[in-house]
Amino acid sequence: MRQNILHRLWESAVVLIGVALLIFIMLRVVPGNPIETMMGEHANQATIDRMTAELGLDQPVHIQFIRYITGALRGDFGTSYSLGKPVSLLMGAAFVNTLKLAVFASLFAWIVGIICGIISAVRKNGPADHIFMGFSLLGVSMPVFMVAMILQFFFGYYLHWLPISGADSWKNFILPAIALGWNSAAGISRLMRSTLLDVLQEDYIETARAKGLTKNAVIVFHALRNTMLPVITMMAIQFSGMLSGAVITETVFSINGIGRLAVQAISGRDIPLLQGTVLFSTAVVILGNLAADCLYAVLDPRIRKEA
Amino acid sequence: MENRTELTLKIDHLNVSIKTENGLIKPVNDISLEIPRGKVVGIVGESGCGKSMTARAVMGLLPPATKIEGGSILLDGNELTGHSEEQLCGVRGSEVSMIFQEPMTSLNPVMKVGRQVDEVIRVHQKVPLAEARKMTIEMFRAVGISEPEERYECYPHQLSGGLRQRVMIAMAMIMKPSLLIADEPTTALDVTVEAQILRLMKELNKSGTSILLISHNLGVIAQVCDYVYVMYAGQFVEEADVFALFDQPLHPYTKGLLGAVTSLRREEAVLETIHGVVPDFSELPDGCGFAARCEKCMERCSALMPRMAETEPGHRVRCHLYSA
Repeated sequence: MRQNILHRLWESAVVLIGVALLIFIMLRVVPGNPIETMMGEHANQATIDRMTAELGLDQPVHIQFIRYITGALRGDFGTSYSLGKPVSLLMGAAFVNTLKLAVFASLFAWIVGIICGIISAVRKNGPADHIFMGFSLLGVSMPVFMVAMILQFFFGYYLHWLPISGADSWKNFILPAIALGWNSAAGISRLMRSTLLDVLQEDYIETARAKGLTKNAVIVFHALRNTMLPVITMMAIQFSGMLSGAVITETVFSINGIGRLAVQAISGRDIPLLQGTVLFSTAVVILGNLAADCLYAVLDPRIRKEA
Repeated sequence: MENRTELTLKIDHLNVSIKTENGLIKPVNDISLEIPRGKVVGIVGESGCGKSMTARAVMGLLPPATKIEGGSILLDGNELTGHSEEQLCGVRGSEVSMIFQEPMTSLNPVMKVGRQVDEVIRVHQKVPLAEARKMTIEMFRAVGISEPEERYECYPHQLSGGLRQRVMIAMAMIMKPSLLIADEPTTALDVTVEAQILRLMKELNKSGTSILLISHNLGVIAQVCDYVYVMYAGQFVEEADVFALFDQPLHPYTKGLLGAVTSLRREEAVLETIHGVVPDFSELPDGCGFAARCEKCMERCSALMPRMAETEPGHRVRCHLYSA
């Protein structure tokens, strides 16, 4: 198992360098000069050339790339053109907000998704099942910004219960967390329901019933762990997705997170900042998947042995 | 209390019905069965004849939309049919237990097998974990699992089919139930392992547990049973002592089943079969369910349901050929 993880980490490093190279080349292939954008319309050619040289953009791409990677290994991702601060610093500050949002949203999604999924499966075709599955259909089909705006309208504008923007206190994160987690909760509850229904058909469930366990004990001690296997994978992928920046949610609720930073970088042609955010997102997704695999092995002894 | 010493299980005129799209069907139709203490009783029949449904009715584990419509099930003299789910949980696993056809899928894949046996003890008794573990390992040894301490820590996928079935048997026997129901316990196993498992069951039977063995395999029935019920389309069509049944089968269906058994000593080139298929439960005739496949079918067979008639003490058959 340990060897397997080491192997996966090594693979992850290769993927990261590959993604870095790809984004690096793409940013230099697309037309338009970032320095011109940065300096504005009235800058003269001499200044532009001087800036280009200063930032090392006149060097051949492979030299630039090597410089970038060696810098990145030391934690230096360059300085943002548009904000004038080190990228690592900007991303660090933004990540705190994104992390808070992701944790709140995931907690909401996991608790609501798992509980609704279990109730729907156990009371299949009952009123609770129909209500939950109706809501989850809304959840998977409604775009995030729409949910966000409905929440803002009701709980912020109409009821004045919660703030609708900013990231000053934990209260600021409640509405964004629900807006962002809604969709995940819907996905988790559907997967939970269908997997649990499948698991309840398994022979070992009947064995457990034949032992004298009550229906609830059978679900808790025998069905849930088997049900969680695919659900864990989904949760990890969703969580790493949220960590790599919830662009729409962060924008609608004016939270300065990784997603918003990336949008700023794109619109400002801020190459170092964009490289930084993309690389970061990649790393988070890779780590998320790795974490899911490890958890999977903890839950399922059949996988533990194979590695 | 007389019953307590004589009969482990007494089923009286049991009916089980299922609601389906084609209306109500009766997979178990007016069945009466007795298992004397310490005996092995078999139910034999083709797939879908209602054998497993009978077993599940005794366990109180009928599938949804299935209901006991009438009759009684007495286990050690206690009526089970009126029991609440909670009462049934107390009975299952401790007084009556069950092993299933598929040892490969009957154990929880993410739980150590030892723990799965511990669980039975701890559901029914307040026993510390260490104590339960000791009892489990002892039971593993009793059912012939070698290196029981190591096996205790294994997951199901690390064990062979035979070993897994032994674990299932250990699980079923750990509370020393008065009745063990074995639903096709050896069907998924190869022949040598089958022989070992049957021998084990016979040994456990000697230590006092009565067994209800369900099988479609007459060879298995012949090896372990004392008394046999032949089931067809939800009804018993013949019941007899195992020797009487094999020596002198009466019902045409039983004869057909026995004729369809292969043997190395047989000289005929063609294996006998019963022509036709088991009738659909929703299209059962008014008369004998076997009439359409029976070579000796008479006029009244398809119109009138024959009654169980005793031809000799302990040998009864449901067929117009033998009714007066």
